[in-house]
Amino acid sequence: METPREITFLQATAVLISTIIGVGVLSLPVIAVKAADSGAPLLTFLGAMIALLSLSILAALGKRFPRKSIIHYSEDILGSWIARIGSVAIVLFFALLSALTAREFGEVVVTSVLRNTPLEVTVIVMLVLTAVSCRNDMNTFSYIHLFYLPFILAPGLLIVALSLQNADMINLLPIARVANGEWLYGSLTIAALFQGSFIVTMIIPSMPRPAKTLQACLLAIIVSGGLYLLIVIATVTIFGAEETKLLIWPTLELARMTSLPANVLERLDILFLAVWVTAVFTTLFSTYYFTIHSLSNLLRLRDHKMFSFFLLPFIFVLAMLPQNVLDTYRFILTIGLYGLIITIAYPAVLLIIAILRKKREDQLDREHAQESP
Amino acid sequence: MIGNTHRSHLNIVFILALLLPILTGCWDRTEIESRANILGIAIDVVEDNEEQYESKLSHLDHTFPKPKKALIQITAQIAVPGRIPLGPESGSSGSQKPVWVLSTVGHTLDDAILNLQQEIADRLFFGHLRVIIVSDKVAKQGVGELNDYLRRNPEVRRTAWMIISNGKASKVMESSPQLERIPTLYLSAMMENAVLLGKFPSDFLGLFWSASSKLGQEPFLPVVEVKRYENTEISGLAYFHGDRMVGVLKPLEIGFFMAVKGITKGGYAAFTPVPGQKASVLVRSRSRSTQISAVMEHGRPKIKLDIHVEVDIVEKTKNTGSLNRPGILKEISAETSRHAKNTIENIIAKTQKDESDIFGFGEYIRAKLPDYWNTHIKTKENWREQFKKLEVDIHFTTTIRRVGMRLG
Repeated sequence: METPREITFLQATAVLISTIIGVGVLSLPVIAVKAADSGAPLLTFLGAMIALLSLSILAALGKRFPRKSIIHYSEDILGSWIARIGSVAIVLFFALLSALTAREFGEVVVTSVLRNTPLEVTVIVMLVLTAVSCRNDMNTFSYIHLFYLPFILAPGLLIVALSLQNADMINLLPIARVANGEWLYGSLTIAALFQGSFIVTMIIPSMPRPAKTLQACLLAIIVSGGLYLLIVIATVTIFGAEETKLLIWPTLELARMTSLPANVLERLDILFLAVWVTAVFTTLFSTYYFTIHSLSNLLRLRDHKMFSFFLLPFIFVLAMLPQNVLDTYRFILTIGLYGLIITIAYPAVLLIIAILRKKREDQLDREHAQESP
Repeated sequence: MIGNTHRSHLNIVFILALLLPILTGCWDRTEIESRANILGIAIDVVEDNEEQYESKLSHLDHTFPKPKKALIQITAQIAVPGRIPLGPESGSSGSQKPVWVLSTVGHTLDDAILNLQQEIADRLFFGHLRVIIVSDKVAKQGVGELNDYLRRNPEVRRTAWMIISNGKASKVMESSPQLERIPTLYLSAMMENAVLLGKFPSDFLGLFWSASSKLGQEPFLPVVEVKRYENTEISGLAYFHGDRMVGVLKPLEIGFFMAVKGITKGGYAAFTPVPGQKASVLVRSRSRSTQISAVMEHGRPKIKLDIHVEVDIVEKTKNTGSLNRPGILKEISAETSRHAKNTIENIIAKTQKDESDIFGFGEYIRAKLPDYWNTHIKTKENWREQFKKLEVDIHFTTTIRRVGMRLG
C-alpha cells in the first residue's frame, strides 16, 4: 500500500510539537511538583529525555521499515497474530487517550469558564470538530498542524515571559536534593504526557526522507519539552512548590495572575484559554486520526474516513466514564503510565527482535540515497 | 428525475439542520445589567448573637455540625450598573451612589454569601472583586476557611488584596473617601500605590496564599484603619502563624521589614539623632539592596543579612549644625545604620516570639542547605520551633547620597 510521500521535515516536526503540547500543559506543573517539589524542572527534563528515548526507538524502527506504519511492520517482525494483539492494544489505548483528552478539556472549561454549560456538550462539540477534521488526508492533516503551531507557541511563551514579574528564584532551589523525590515514578508520568508523539509511526511512511525522522523528533522534543520546562519553571518560581500542590491547573492560575503591561488586559487567562483550546484540538486531532488510521490499517482498509464518525459514540462514552474531576485525573495518570508499555516497551521489543531477526526493508531507500546524495 | 429532486431537497434540509446549532446562543450568557458585581467584601465577627437574623438557607436547625466559631457578618459592596463613572465626572450626578452596601451573616463565608444571594435578585459575580477586608478579630481566629472559599471560586482573582482592618471591617467598607467615587477601588488603588511608593511590599492574594503554603515562611497582610476624614491609613503589617494573625508591626517597622526582604524601592523616612548634637535629621530611604545567605555554623544554620540602604536627608531640625562639615554625613549614616540594626533585631525578636517567620528565612535554609533541612526540619511545625532559636547576623550599612537643594 503506497502512500504519496509528501510530508516535509518541517511539517513532521510541527505535527509532533503540536501533538505533544496539549491538554496536559495545565496540570503538568502539579504532577511534576508532587513528585519532586522544587526539583520539578529537573524532573520535567528527565521526562522529556525518556520521551526522546521512546521517539528514537520509533525513529530507528521507522528507518528500518520506511514504507510501513507500526501496524504493518510489527506483523513482519512478530508474525501476524501476536502483532495484531499489539495493534489492537495500540488502537484501544489511543481511543482511550483521545477520550480522556476530550474529557480533561471538558472539565477545565466547565469548571473555570462556561460554568453553566453541561460537560457533555463541551466534550461532544470538541469530538465532533475533531471527527469532521479527521476526514482529511494525511497531507491536509500535516498542514493543519503546521498552520496552528505558531498560535500555540507564541502566546505560550508570551505568558511565561510576562508572568515572571512576580518570580522568586529561591523557589527553584534545591534543584535535586529534595526531601521525598519520587524521581522514577515522576519522570515516567511526565514522559506519559509526551505519548502523543507515538503518531510519528504514522507519519514516517509519508515522509520522502524517513532517515531524517530522528532529527525531526529531536527538534520536536527540544521545542515542546522546552516549553514544558519553561512553564514548570515559571509556575514553581511564582507559586512555590507547596502552593502549586494545591492547584488543579497551575498553568491556568499563572495566566489568571498575569496581566499585560499598562493594563491592556488585566488577566491573560482568556488569551491563554483560546491558545489552549487550539492546543487541545491539535492533540485530539492527532490521537483521533491515529486511532482511526491504525484501525483501518489493521483491517486492511484503504481509507480511514468511514471510521471518523463511527468511532465518535464509543469515544464519547469512554470520555464520560470518570465520575468527577479527581476521578478523571486518577484515570489519566494510570492510563498514561500503563500506556508507556505500549509506547516505549512494545516498540523497544519490536526493535530488538527486528535486529535479532535481521528484518529490514530499507534496502531500496538506501540504494536510492547512495545514488543521489 | 423525481427521485433526484427529492434527494436534493433532502440535502438542503440536511445542510439547514447542520446550520441549526449556530443559531443557538451562548449557554453561559449573562447580561452585564443582570449581574451583581461585587467589588469588595468586609468580614466581621457578629458581636451580639445575631443568629436570629440568619435565614434557614444552607442548613436547617441542628442538621449539620455547627462550626464552633461565632457567626461571621459580611458586608458587600455591589456596583450599581450604569452608575459607575467611566472617566472624569461630568456635571452634577453626584447624588446617586455608584455602589450598594449590603450585609448578611453566616457560619462560613460561602454560607454568608448564599444568604446574600437569597436577598438579591441578580446573580452575584466575583470577577471584579478587588478587596477583601477582614477584621482583626476574624483574622485572629484564622482566615483559612475564608481562603478556602476564595481559592475554589474560579471567578476570584489572585490579584485582589486581602486587608486586615483595625476594628470593624464594615466601617472601612462604608467609609467614602473623596478621591474616588467607589470606596473599594480607592482602597485597591491605595494598596497598589503603596507598593509603588515603597510603603508596603507587594502582597496581593496570590502572594499571600503562596507565602502561607511555603514550608519556611509565614504570610503577612496590611492593616488599615479609618481616620477622621473617612480616609484610610496603612497602620501596620499583620503577621501570621499559619492562618492566624498573631501580631502587628508598626508602619516604620514595615520599612525595615522591607529592607530585610530586599525590596528595592524605599519609601520610609526616620528621624536620626545627629551624633554629638542635640538635634536630629530626617533621613529617607531611596533604595535598598539585601543579600540573605544561609550558612552552617557549629552544626546549626544561621542567617546572614547584608543590607545596604541609600538614603537622602530631607529635613533637619532647628538646632542642627551645618551638614557641610567633612565627615558629618558619615557619622549620621553610621548612626542610622546602628538604629536600623537595633530596630531589625527587635522586629526579628518579636516575630520569633510569635513563631512567625514572615521574612522567609526558612525558605533560604530549605533552598541553600537542603541536607540540613531534609534531615532536621522537613515540616512547617519543625521550622517554627527552629525559627524561635534562629541566629541572625545583621550587617547594615547606609550611604547618604543627597541632601536636597539646600547647602549647609
